[in-house]
Amino acid sequence: MQIGGWLLYALVQIVGSYLASGGISAKRLVFLLAEALLCLGVTHGFRILLNRWRWLYLPMHKLLPSVSVALFIMGLLVYFLRIPVNLMLGRLFNPMDALDIQQILGQSVFYIFVFFLWTVFYFTYHYFERYNKSLKYEASMIEIELNNLKSQLNPHFIFNALNSIRALVDENPSKSKQAINQLSNILRNSLASDKKGLTNFEDELKMVKDYLGLESIRFEERLKTEFDIHPDSPKFRVPPLMIQTLVENGIKHGISKLTPGGVIQLKTSVVDDRLMIHIRNSGHLINGIKRSKSGLGLKNTVQRLKLIYGDEASFRIVNENDNFVLTEIIIPQINSHESINRR
Amino acid sequence: MRALIVDDERLARKELMKLLEDHPMIEVVGEAMNAEEATQLVNDLNPDLLFLDIQMPGKTGFQLLEELDSVPLVVFTTAYDEFALKAFEVNALDYLLKPIQPERLAEAVAKLADKERAKNAAIRGPEKKLGLNDQVFVKDGDRCWFVSLSNVRLFESDGNYIKVYFDSNRPMIHKSLNALDEKLDERAFFRASRKHIVNLSWVEGIEPWFNGGLMVKLRGGDKVEVSRRQAAKFKDMMSL
Repeated sequence: MQIGGWLLYALVQIVGSYLASGGISAKRLVFLLAEALLCLGVTHGFRILLNRWRWLYLPMHKLLPSVSVALFIMGLLVYFLRIPVNLMLGRLFNPMDALDIQQILGQSVFYIFVFFLWTVFYFTYHYFERYNKSLKYEASMIEIELNNLKSQLNPHFIFNALNSIRALVDENPSKSKQAINQLSNILRNSLASDKKGLTNFEDELKMVKDYLGLESIRFEERLKTEFDIHPDSPKFRVPPLMIQTLVENGIKHGISKLTPGGVIQLKTSVVDDRLMIHIRNSGHLINGIKRSKSGLGLKNTVQRLKLIYGDEASFRIVNENDNFVLTEIIIPQINSHESINRR
Repeated sequence: MRALIVDDERLARKELMKLLEDHPMIEVVGEAMNAEEATQLVNDLNPDLLFLDIQMPGKTGFQLLEELDSVPLVVFTTAYDEFALKAFEVNALDYLLKPIQPERLAEAVAKLADKERAKNAAIRGPEKKLGLNDQVFVKDGDRCWFVSLSNVRLFESDGNYIKVYFDSNRPMIHKSLNALDEKLDERAFFRASRKHIVNLSWVEGIEPWFNGGLMVKLRGGDKVEVSRRQAAKFKDMMSL
């Protein structure tokens, strides 16, 4: 776009001088092209500095003087840079004329004006792009929230749990009381959790344990659970309900489909200040139509991780072997991405 | 009525058994925890009624029904899949949402009693053969039907499938026409040719056809050719 813009500038100049004098010399042509190239170089440098100093984020009252000074310097810069170009082309050059203060200012003002237009264009373009991006960000955030609401209050799970608890009331009253506590804890968490923020690892772990406790009532000996939690795990903060959702995924698509049942294992480890979460479940991933529904949930997880951690977190789900599916999340320590999460 | 409970959760089965204690007309003769067990028990015990969960490991409740030759009365029990039951024609079946409300169960049982009376009033076919009063479960894509055989006018073989003609529907079932022929009561259904089995109670007219065959007209306008080999047998059956 930069290049295109300055080419257009050169073209306009060429056509302009052609129309003005009814003809154009080769030297003049080369000069105008070189001038456009000069301007391209200067504005490109300016753009790099703009990005480095983050001027796009400056408030107007700070931006105006900074930009004015910058434009003035750039104008002078181009004026002096075009002197060697003129020399090279062998055009008439009079040091006295060239260094005359009026000449300098007069010529520079023209360039300053051109650069001013460039800056206005540049800032407007970026303003709209940022606006666009923030709209997109908000839209995807809302979509994720909606999907979370849908998936977290999984009615199938809740009604099945209630049904099991009702049968348990006669069989084992104290266990049924515990189950009611677990269920209310899950309901409270899924209603209260702030989907944008992060939660303590320990809270999430409790949620997962409550959830698995309830599923164990339903599946009885068909569901075996294993935990292997690294002692440093509580130092981390994790997206709320993310581990729970993935564990539920493993039960829904893995263990509940297997007649003899299976194992679900939650393992964490800390490597290089990053938390690695491994969820293993009996079963086998099928790549195809059958996965379309869970695919949506997984896509959600990926999106959430990206929004919170940028490229610092990772997620994958694979068939570890014929009998186990491995879901892996790697989460960086909270401090390293605070700036991203400041929203 | 002799009932079979099919559910993968022990506690869910137990809860339903307990609720059924209030309804002495329902006798629970067996419990199955998956489709394989259920198929076995249906064949062994020949129950009048199934309480059937939809989501089970291995095969779903629907798949179980598709495999049964003759389907008993069915009440679906489910936690949250009633959308899956929307596929059925209105009033074709009953379902109970878990946790099951005692009042809803009482309603369902009352409906079952009506259906059972209607069934008993009709003459029963010979043992183990499918007569006009039996029903089959038919699923075609998203749509499902419980079809009484008395409404099926024609079975037509189509590759590895059979087209089942009833009302204006022609869903396919995955079976061979020979296997079906063996199960059907020969007094009600007639094997017209390699391709067709007709319901005799739907026959409206018979015309002579080429090569000594016959052309049978069914109510509703379908026409079926009877092969020469079967024509003599057919004449025997239709005359007293």
